[in-house]
Amino acid sequence: MSGTLVAQGYLCRAEEVAEGAARGFALTGRRHKVIVLRKGGRLYGWLDACPHYDGGTPMAWKSDAYLNGAGTHLACHSHGAHFDMTTGVCTLGPCLGQALTRVELHVTTAGEVFAAI
Amino acid sequence: MNIIGPDYLVFGVDDLPGSIEYLTKFGLKPVGVDASGGLFEALDGTGVIIRAKSDPALPAPLKTANMLRQQVYGVQADSDLDAIEVELSKDRRVVRLADGSLETADDHGFSLKFQITRRRALSMPAEKINAPGAPAQRAPNEIGVWEEMPAAPRSLSHVVLFVPDIAKAADFYCQRLGFVVTDTLIGAGPFLRPKANDDHHTLFFIRTPDYMQGCEHLAFHMGGPTELMVAGTRLVKSGVQSFWGPGRHKFGSNWFWYFNSPLGCHFEYDADMDKHDDSWTPREAPMGPEASQIVLFEMREKWAPGGPPPGAKRE
Repeated sequence: MSGTLVAQGYLCRAEEVAEGAARGFALTGRRHKVIVLRKGGRLYGWLDACPHYDGGTPMAWKSDAYLNGAGTHLACHSHGAHFDMTTGVCTLGPCLGQALTRVELHVTTAGEVFAAI
Repeated sequence: MNIIGPDYLVFGVDDLPGSIEYLTKFGLKPVGVDASGGLFEALDGTGVIIRAKSDPALPAPLKTANMLRQQVYGVQADSDLDAIEVELSKDRRVVRLADGSLETADDHGFSLKFQITRRRALSMPAEKINAPGAPAQRAPNEIGVWEEMPAAPRSLSHVVLFVPDIAKAADFYCQRLGFVVTDTLIGAGPFLRPKANDDHHTLFFIRTPDYMQGCEHLAFHMGGPTELMVAGTRLVKSGVQSFWGPGRHKFGSNWFWYFNSPLGCHFEYDADMDKHDDSWTPREAPMGPEASQIVLFEMREKWAPGGPPPGAKRE
């Protein structure tokens, strides 16, 4: 059944996420999307769940709009919290001292990105 | 002091094109908006003013991540501005601008402006419903919904502020500006209405640490729950992220639906809020999911049940 499980964790193709960009991908049966972003050539995965409230709340203001205006941080568009794109640590706003939940990514040789959750 | 409520809320944003797109999608009408921002108004002329956060024309930013720069209150008459000037000049700087409006700050440092209200009188029907036992509100052949039905924000309803000191906030607005507490959610804060407005609230406070001070959300009145849900559905279909709702609050009885925004706070559609006068006795309830709402729903993609199951044998 491992094939089925892997198929459920499919997010996107690596080239769909450009340098400096972030996108959100839904996983069937999962409440939260997974944010995939590329920074310094490397892909990072974060749960689309702002830690401000129990259970986490979605952070974009519209589809794939996860960054602040300058494109320097992941931003929660509930209350403007900023998170470091590579560590997930909140640097400004309501969630100071908290961090996003990291989602480990696996990129296949064919360039498919899977979430290890 | 005949304060009516917020005419405008002013924001210094870090994503001006995104904010312009958002406010337009939300159903507000750009008035004289250019690349430096401008006013987005509801049907009665109240609304949201946005500028780039570096725009020197803006009041100073808060010391937090929040993008709210000023609350502009509408009052009825010059005599109200005079009364506010006399009262607030006792212990703070109040600047009289060339157009007669006043600029000052509250006890938390939120920038305030008071002006003769710019809101226009609206004359439109509320949502009309039919129910057994009551006279029909819609005439024969008058339909209730249609795909292209208008669902535009009618008026800026209220603003909700994160503040570190609830007593300090409430005392300033009640004792200095004549606001009245209608109800209190213990653990969050009080709902306030100004003297010249019978809405359940135009202002609500939520206690937070000082690094969160700012605007939690702002709301616009819709013509009724159907308009609220139609506008919200259109917004979600356009890609905007729903935050909470649709549902109906207990205190205030207003329907609600909140959305994320690039302005660093939530935007809400509300509808059918209670009205109060000075004979009202304020209620209190501990803040929590049960006290907050009578019902809560979550939008899902449209579907419809049909006849036989899809796999049924064809005749």
